[in-house]
Amino acid sequence: MKSQKLPEVLAPAGSLDKLKVAVLYGANAVYVGGQKFGLRTAADNFTEDELREGMAFAHARGAKVYVVLNSFLHDKDLTELPEFVSFLEDIGTDAVIVSDLGVVRTVRAHSTIPIHVSTQASTLNVHSALLWKEAGAQRIVLGREVSVREAGKIRREAQIEIEMFIHGSMCMAYSGHCVISNFTQGRDSNRGGCAHSCRFEYSIEGLDTLEKKRAFFMSSKDLEGLRVLPAFIEEGIDSLKIEGRMKSHLYAGTMAKVYSEALRFYAQHGHFLSDDLRDWEAELSKVSHRAYTEASLLTPAGPDSIFNERENASEGEWRMVGTVVEANPKAGIVLEVRNAFNQGDEIEILPFRGSAVRLRALEMSDLASQPVVRTRPTTLVRLPFVSGVEAMHLVRHRINP
Amino acid sequence: MRLTTYARTLHELSILCDQGFREVILEPKALARFGKLSNDEFIALFHRASELGLRVLLEWDILMTEDLFGEKVAALRELLPYADALRVQDPGALHWALKETTKPLQFIAENGNHNRAALEGWIDLCGGRLERVVLSIELSKTVIEDYVEHLSVPCELLGLGRILLFYTPRPLLSALLPERTAQNQDLAALGESEESPHKGFPLVENQHGTFMFHIKEFCLLEYAADLRSAGLGFFRIDQRWETPPKLAEISALSRHFDPQAFERLKEGYSQDLMRGFYLGNKTDSQFHKLKNSRLQKREGNYIGEVLEVQKASHLAIMVKNLRGLCLGDVLQIMHPKGHLIDTKVHALRNLALEPVSEVPPGEVALIQFVEGVWAKAQVYFIER
Repeated sequence: MKSQKLPEVLAPAGSLDKLKVAVLYGANAVYVGGQKFGLRTAADNFTEDELREGMAFAHARGAKVYVVLNSFLHDKDLTELPEFVSFLEDIGTDAVIVSDLGVVRTVRAHSTIPIHVSTQASTLNVHSALLWKEAGAQRIVLGREVSVREAGKIRREAQIEIEMFIHGSMCMAYSGHCVISNFTQGRDSNRGGCAHSCRFEYSIEGLDTLEKKRAFFMSSKDLEGLRVLPAFIEEGIDSLKIEGRMKSHLYAGTMAKVYSEALRFYAQHGHFLSDDLRDWEAELSKVSHRAYTEASLLTPAGPDSIFNERENASEGEWRMVGTVVEANPKAGIVLEVRNAFNQGDEIEILPFRGSAVRLRALEMSDLASQPVVRTRPTTLVRLPFVSGVEAMHLVRHRINP
Repeated sequence: MRLTTYARTLHELSILCDQGFREVILEPKALARFGKLSNDEFIALFHRASELGLRVLLEWDILMTEDLFGEKVAALRELLPYADALRVQDPGALHWALKETTKPLQFIAENGNHNRAALEGWIDLCGGRLERVVLSIELSKTVIEDYVEHLSVPCELLGLGRILLFYTPRPLLSALLPERTAQNQDLAALGESEESPHKGFPLVENQHGTFMFHIKEFCLLEYAADLRSAGLGFFRIDQRWETPPKLAEISALSRHFDPQAFERLKEGYSQDLMRGFYLGNKTDSQFHKLKNSRLQKREGNYIGEVLEVQKASHLAIMVKNLRGLCLGDVLQIMHPKGHLIDTKVHALRNLALEPVSEVPPGEVALIQFVEGVWAKAQVYFIER
């Protein structure tokens, strides 16, 4: 019963700009949040105008848009939901991502939008998937504790679409089963207020020993499943999800690009046996991340999946320096600078497909044509035009050569 | 309102009987998060409980990936004849029990389920098989009263016991306490976070994973009479970590609250006590502080964002709306700190520095320099 259908690449989009980046770099679908009902309160999130525009942008390029409604909503939150659900249906939302049965019932009562059950619901087995299917779900986003092999079994036996995380930060707890922030910070982690208490250092004292040990014992390494792609395909997993609506444009673009290119390679060749695999891994390493783990994709995650380091110890070697806002022979390449770099530095422009364009920033000027020796964030800088470079291309710079 | 609690020994069963309990929660080691009972011990306790007239509730509250689920179902089948009802938390366990057993079911909805529609949903999905729903301790008094009044099955609420903050299947203490791991024992420790003034979070690692609890225990003994009046069905007392258990005192306080007796209980109790969110849950009240609302886009009249400010030269505005930006437009620019600046576009160029009358969506417009504007400011139409 093995299937060879390729899964969709589902990328995070914390803002309209990131949605465009993810779609242009190859994502088959994106997930976004409105101003309410999601789990990323601190993200930009989308206004209703932006949702409408993002939907149109994605659909015009063959990509789908899923909207997260995955907070554990309280009764007072639910009163505002029906109107928003009707709006989402009107603008052509491809699915909503939900973790609460009350939200499932509300969505079903006010729309026919397909329902995906969020990983927050920690669906881990066939019977759980069957229950959500009976409740009206079309797809399950499995808990990150489930292996790809188990996921294939759930898909076959529950006869329901399966989505799995392939990349990104991970909750150490079963998703939706951590309330540290709620009780220690007064912020509901399951309504978007997670304070990331698991990322801090703890002092641990065994009850029968006087010795104290300090460790980041609740912090998980980041998931990276590139080499597991063949298993995802063999098991017929429908969607591969990339975590990270709060992360950068460079992250959204790089992840969408790498995973979609890898799947396109497979579609063309029927295997992943390629030198490109090293290139894809190199690309993934260029984005700031914690140490990578395959977590439970193949076997249950063990102690080696703990990221026992302080967060800032894992800065990536590359940093996004800006986005191309316009590129043509007349205007040159105009770059919106996000992080400073110097004249003469080597930068890489990441095209939507294919290898990065590497160039040395020898000639730089501001918009008034004055030479620039060192760029500054929140300025525009002009570089000579290079064929193939387009607006929305991301530009990065190696910070630790 | 009836009391319910856990037992792990024959002696504890006798105490429950003496205190007027009519049911007991038994936790098999293989199936319950903090279970200690082997199958033989479970069966022995079941027989004794039955003799004492106690109804036995089998707690199957672990979460299970698919491989584990198969193993646990096999273990459960051995114990099923020795349970009067099943308590489950994993929706898969609930579904399996609905299909494969005829036992009365209790659903532990302590995680999330903070709206009545969700709880009604679980009750409906169970089609009359659910005899009890266990409510979240994050619910406030008024919400609990509403649920108790309107739900079609009795509700249970924790009355006194540890607050579980965190549950993972991963072994997190083993690497830190290898000497204990080698003895194949459950691990217990206290944690102290660098981010929090709180010290002494109890930690447990066992065969089901790692658990962290709050430094204080949850206690609604002061409000037991209110909950009884509201119609709460079951008030759960959890003394699994209290040595010695203080069941007699707690049972008495649950039935008749005596402030002096309560003070004595607190003095002798191993942990401080808290009422959590019982008087009000405001855990979303800080959310508006998590981002600068002045950087948030508004609907309708939004144009875009200032990318660059070149003094005496221009403002560069990324046009993000669907209408574009035209010469003569009157704009309102909102500074990240909140003040507003109005200006009319009287000079407009594109990035090739060519004068234009309109800049389309998705492109950068250069307008005249405006004093007091910073990059990242948001731009809105006033009129065209």
